[in-house]
Amino acid sequence: MMGIRTRLRTALVALVLGVGIGLAAATATAPEAAAQQQPAAPPAATEQMLFNYLQGNVQGRVTIPDRRAATLIQPAGRDFQDFWRSTMKWIGGIAILGMLAVLAIFYLVRGTIRIEAGPSGRTIQRFNGVERFAHWLTASTFIVLGITGLNITFGRELLLPLIGPDAFTAWSELAKVAHNYLSFPFTLGVALMLVLWIKDNLPSATDARWFAEGGGLIGHGHPPARKFNAGQKLIFWSVVLGGAAIAVTGYIMMFPFQFWATDIAGMQLAIQLHGIIALVMIAIILAHIYIGSLGMEGAFAAMGTGRVDLNWAKEHHSLWVDEMMSGGRAAAAPPGARSAGAD
Amino acid sequence: MLIKRSDASRARGGLAQAFASFSAGALDRRAFLRRSGVAAGGLAAVAGLAAGTVKRAEAGPMQPGVPVEVRRNICTHCSVGCTVVAEVQNGVWVGQEPAWDSPINRGTHCAKGASVRELVHGDRRLKYPMKLAGGQWQRISWDQAINEIGDRMLKIREEAGPDGIFFLGSAKFSNEGAYLFRKFAAFWGTNNVDHQARICHSTTVAGVANTWGYGAQTNSYNDIRNSKTIVIMGGNPAEAHPVSLQHLLQGKEKNRANFVVIEPRFTRTAAHATEYVRIRPGTDIPTLWGILWHIFENGWEDKEFIRQRVYGMDDVRKEVAKWTPDEVERVTGVPGAQLRKVAEMFAKQKPATLVWCMGMTQKTVGTANVRAACILLLATGNVGAPGTGANIFRGHCNVQGATDLGVDNTTLPLYYGLDEGAWRHWGRVWNVSYEYLRDRFGKAGADEAARKKLMETAGITSTRYLDATLLPEGELRDQPNLRGMVVFGHGGNTVTRMPEAAKALAKLDLLVVADPHPTTFAVLAERREGTYLLPICTQFECSGSRTASNRSLQWGEQIVKPIFESRNDYEVLYRLAEKLGFASEMFKNIEVKGKEPVAESVLREINAGGWSTGYCGQSPERLKAHMRHQKHFDLVTLRAGPDAPEEVRGDYYGLPWPCWGKPEYRHPGTHQLYNTNLHVKDGGGTFRARFGVEHNGQTLLAEGSYSKGSEIQDGYPQFTYGVLKRLGWDKDLTQAELETILRIGGNNPDTVSWATDLSGGIQRVALEHGCIPFGNGKARANAWNLPDPIPVHREPIYTPRPDLVAKYPTRDNFVAHRVPNIGHTVQKQAVERNIARDFPLVISSGRLVEYEGGGEETRSNKWLAELQQESFIEINPADAAERNIVDGAWVLVQGPEMPRDRFIRVKALVTERVGRGVVWMPFHFAGHFMQEDQRGKYPPGTDPIVLGESVNTVTTYGYDPVTSMQEAKCTLCQVRAA
Amino acid sequence: MARMKFLCDADRCIECNACVTACKNEHEVPWGINRRRVVTINDGKPGERSISMACMHCTDAPCAAVCPVDCFYTTADGVVLHSKDLCIGCGYCFYACPFGAPQYPRLGNFGSRGKMDKCTYCAGGPEADSTPAEYAKYGSNRLAEGKLPLCAEMCSTKALLAGDGDIIAQIYAERVTTRGYGSGAWGWRTAYKDMVAG
Repeated sequence: MMGIRTRLRTALVALVLGVGIGLAAATATAPEAAAQQQPAAPPAATEQMLFNYLQGNVQGRVTIPDRRAATLIQPAGRDFQDFWRSTMKWIGGIAILGMLAVLAIFYLVRGTIRIEAGPSGRTIQRFNGVERFAHWLTASTFIVLGITGLNITFGRELLLPLIGPDAFTAWSELAKVAHNYLSFPFTLGVALMLVLWIKDNLPSATDARWFAEGGGLIGHGHPPARKFNAGQKLIFWSVVLGGAAIAVTGYIMMFPFQFWATDIAGMQLAIQLHGIIALVMIAIILAHIYIGSLGMEGAFAAMGTGRVDLNWAKEHHSLWVDEMMSGGRAAAAPPGARSAGAD
Repeated sequence: MLIKRSDASRARGGLAQAFASFSAGALDRRAFLRRSGVAAGGLAAVAGLAAGTVKRAEAGPMQPGVPVEVRRNICTHCSVGCTVVAEVQNGVWVGQEPAWDSPINRGTHCAKGASVRELVHGDRRLKYPMKLAGGQWQRISWDQAINEIGDRMLKIREEAGPDGIFFLGSAKFSNEGAYLFRKFAAFWGTNNVDHQARICHSTTVAGVANTWGYGAQTNSYNDIRNSKTIVIMGGNPAEAHPVSLQHLLQGKEKNRANFVVIEPRFTRTAAHATEYVRIRPGTDIPTLWGILWHIFENGWEDKEFIRQRVYGMDDVRKEVAKWTPDEVERVTGVPGAQLRKVAEMFAKQKPATLVWCMGMTQKTVGTANVRAACILLLATGNVGAPGTGANIFRGHCNVQGATDLGVDNTTLPLYYGLDEGAWRHWGRVWNVSYEYLRDRFGKAGADEAARKKLMETAGITSTRYLDATLLPEGELRDQPNLRGMVVFGHGGNTVTRMPEAAKALAKLDLLVVADPHPTTFAVLAERREGTYLLPICTQFECSGSRTASNRSLQWGEQIVKPIFESRNDYEVLYRLAEKLGFASEMFKNIEVKGKEPVAESVLREINAGGWSTGYCGQSPERLKAHMRHQKHFDLVTLRAGPDAPEEVRGDYYGLPWPCWGKPEYRHPGTHQLYNTNLHVKDGGGTFRARFGVEHNGQTLLAEGSYSKGSEIQDGYPQFTYGVLKRLGWDKDLTQAELETILRIGGNNPDTVSWATDLSGGIQRVALEHGCIPFGNGKARANAWNLPDPIPVHREPIYTPRPDLVAKYPTRDNFVAHRVPNIGHTVQKQAVERNIARDFPLVISSGRLVEYEGGGEETRSNKWLAELQQESFIEINPADAAERNIVDGAWVLVQGPEMPRDRFIRVKALVTERVGRGVVWMPFHFAGHFMQEDQRGKYPPGTDPIVLGESVNTVTTYGYDPVTSMQEAKCTLCQVRAA
Repeated sequence: MARMKFLCDADRCIECNACVTACKNEHEVPWGINRRRVVTINDGKPGERSISMACMHCTDAPCAAVCPVDCFYTTADGVVLHSKDLCIGCGYCFYACPFGAPQYPRLGNFGSRGKMDKCTYCAGGPEADSTPAEYAKYGSNRLAEGKLPLCAEMCSTKALLAGDGDIIAQIYAERVTTRGYGSGAWGWRTAYKDMVAG
């Protein structure tokens, strides 16, 4: 800060030398021309008029190969700034905090949903190893991607003040690398789940009833469901479609201007979509995590050991249990698994 | 096809490679510099070079705590003459600051000027002498290079005579270098000496000098601030002279001036015009006569000015009467109403100035174009006052000086010509006998008359060396086939007809390229032996004066020592002269330190002989004082005011020539030529009485017009001792002056003139009486000694309008500058063969702001190279659409004289800058030759970063009858998608 | 306190690129990084204008607003600078910048996009003024020496103005008065959210 005023004064002197000379000289040589009258402001185009004239496209020619440099001004950058600074943060904040609040209230009201009939002690294979691998591959990468992504969005407000700029940059750089590289296993996980479960997630008539009964969460009924109830189907499609959208927009960001979004407007859109979809997905997945763990007794085992309690299954996936019991499919149980009722 | 493809990809790979080396980032380079650079005193071995003797060039960041020296030099690019302020630490050029004090550039630069420091860093400079042996480049020592070159030159001299060698000099020389180069050729015994002015403004010099005396810009860049109407014709100063636009635009704003651009192409300059006139290329005379038609028709001409100061305007009226608006529109495409508007502005909103550049000069009718331009100025009385005049923007940084100092086949230094009087004058200045000089000419055993004839015969021009090499000897006049070329600071791609040039260069026994870079000459031809490359330093590593376009001389001081093993021009010429055995005669009056002639001493010799052009008053001391006190010179008048230090007080900046008398006479120089409103001692003057006193019964002396304070209030002839005697002014001569005059005059002292009087007495006495030494004459609207005394329109050799050739044919065949000019035959055949059908597009060429000339130097400057990475051709959207060409696509271009199956391959730039039927290419590219990538032919590490196809591979035959200027602006071609 | 701004007078700019090479030369900016560039709009047509563009050192700078690591800071002179030590090369500032100012070494190489580089208004970075460390990362610090950005100082036609916003706005307004027209101060509304007279 030393001598900023001195420095500035010198700068201004230089300025006057540099730019003022023309005027000074003009005055010196043509005194009559430099009459001191203050005429009304002469016609001068405003920037808006110029934008209008150019039909909003301030695109020109440059000699350097960088095509993007030919965009002189993109006022949309200011919109992007507003989106990033407020819109997205509000959306993210509301979605995530809102979901947490809803879940908290639900938990307070409803508590953990118990198996009504109580654990039967008998289990049934719900997800095999491949399925669980796909789930956990997706889940684990999603968690890291989510945290590192949230760091990009909220870290500056939440984490930076706590750990200071150097540590925050070090962490963020690591987070960025992780975010970039983990996108690949995440995409793989989503693709695997799509292949494994799409046939069980096609909409069916039972879904309507399930919705009509609020999934049984409201009240104490248990609408029938096959392997996946309508709520789970929603999660599935959210993950598949949302995941695909995040992946696509994410890859666009990793390879900027390379495909699809070849201009800056496209890139801005990609980032905006990526951010919003990701935040909404985080909110949805929070609900998923809740219901798969704290929210419902017996649910976690499905992705934990892969085997669920038979009573839990009957309550939540009655039609699926029926299918499994009626031969055929039951034979698909892993070797060594004893068939239900054999004991 | 396959070969071409791989060639092309190799070319791209080459560029990618070239730039990959710095995309690695500045950090590496900076780190390197920090380690090895400034602290080590600027000396370090270059990694990768075998010998440790090579000095590394340095241009690193400023180091804190190390003392900074500020040195001033002049930008080495265009003729505007911007001062460069260099910051030097420990002999390393570390920074460049704005030169606020310079009245010419006031701190500013263009892309080239702002990156000149890079030239002295010189990654891609030639580092040591090299020769081509068995097709391989070999490093050799300076001694070996000079010895071998000298032996080969002497062998050619023995076999073909001194005219077997062509000396191609440079507009990049300092004045001292240019002078020494011309002197060198004289001492070698040839007039085969030329430089870039040939293809720049040779036609201007011829046309303008034949009109009113001197062939130079009459006013200055700064003076255009006074103009109310500015017409730029055939010029694009926004790219060619960017800093001049500062003066033009500020003048335009302040005066609300008319700013008219007459050009086939909508240039960056045209973008700022208040009126843009698009003409068909090659129709400048019809356009000018079309303007003049309206002026005469409406009586807008300046009748009093014409009566007093112009000869032969009535002859012009007769020619102009033929150019009715209809005929003008038929030939040029410009509507009559638009030209009427321009005519009215030019004649009535005065002062008006006409600015022109290569669009006017590089034509088969270049001299006539320029003459027509001068006549327009004369008709409207727009010469010889502030804000008026022929503001001819010269090209290179010292093309004006090199022209003045006679790097030219038709004259000794300072326009003395080649006649016996000229040789005797310079013999006296050089302190050698006339006979000694004469006997340097001709083959061994030639008689005196033969030698004298050769001595007085103009030599080969830079545009025709190829023909002088290739044509059967019988078709040449007074000239053997060229066997050797010595090229200093000249690109090989700036001359038209490159396929022929490649053949000619292949045929030479000896090719010497003395330049900071190898240049196109080193790679164009298939040569395996006899090519020598001598590394010359830039003017930043050398002291000397240079003359800007406005005739101001500026002294540049050495900023850093020559980098690597490079040497300055002076030293190399000295070493060669020494080897060839005439150094002791040539450098008799010149101080030589070691083997390096001292620039100040050379300038003093120029002063001693430069009377004809007023190069006599600009001593090194005065020029250095001007550089020291730049800030005291006025921006508009260029004059140092009363509060300036005594040593520059009252001077015009840079003592623009003519600066009469000896330095101690303190003539201030001449800001505006022929300005009768000023006393001659204040830089006033009249038109030069150069062509006698009368012609066809009419007087050639001014009538009733004279410069302020003149004791003779009418026209008068040039001053000689005889004239002084008749006026009774001879008694004003001092005894010493008189003795000198009598000594020079011998038996006939009356003929000793203001230009040959070495005492300066005649000039001094004339000035004291308020008279200008060269007389007070009329300007000539009719120049009877030129091929077309009144300019007439002549269609280009290759014209898109063959229907007009019958009415407006080019001149008959003739011989000029020792070589036949068969333009008439070529034009006739082109019409008969219907060339315009197969090659329907007019191709023109011009300049990019980032590059200069042949471009080797600027394309090797990474800051500039980044901005223009590929050679391109501008084509109108309609022409492009017809050919399925999209912006940025590769296209093939062919000219009518190229081999039938060969093309150049460039990028298309689809733009409305060019009109329909016209394409345009920048002329700076080389290194790709008809799709052959020549990168591998450069000595390793010296290839420019950017290579590209040259427009001059496409350009064709066509030469101006007066100066052998080439036709570079208007020929035909065909373009197709690649 | 001065508020440093740039103003490009499009009626003066001739696309000579002096600003570009002055910048490159002053700061040793490598190929592919274009801190300043000249864009020509309406190329080849009447109404053609060239404008030299770089970081405008915006009021409420969008780059700073979107930076996830908050590496930007605004000096007392209103110059928007950043810390290359803190930058993680995420690229967001490029999308937010209305003027295309941020540049990245090896832009497009996945995962290895380098630290952002942009015009510093010749004011260096957070390191101590005019030190080799500062030069290596940001180039020279002219402001600390009482000099203005070299691009504007060397502008061939004095089209590019740099200095205190009020002063250069006044210079521009006077020019508009002198010549009777003006093309507007390009980018000022977007950058500074205000207009300049003329």
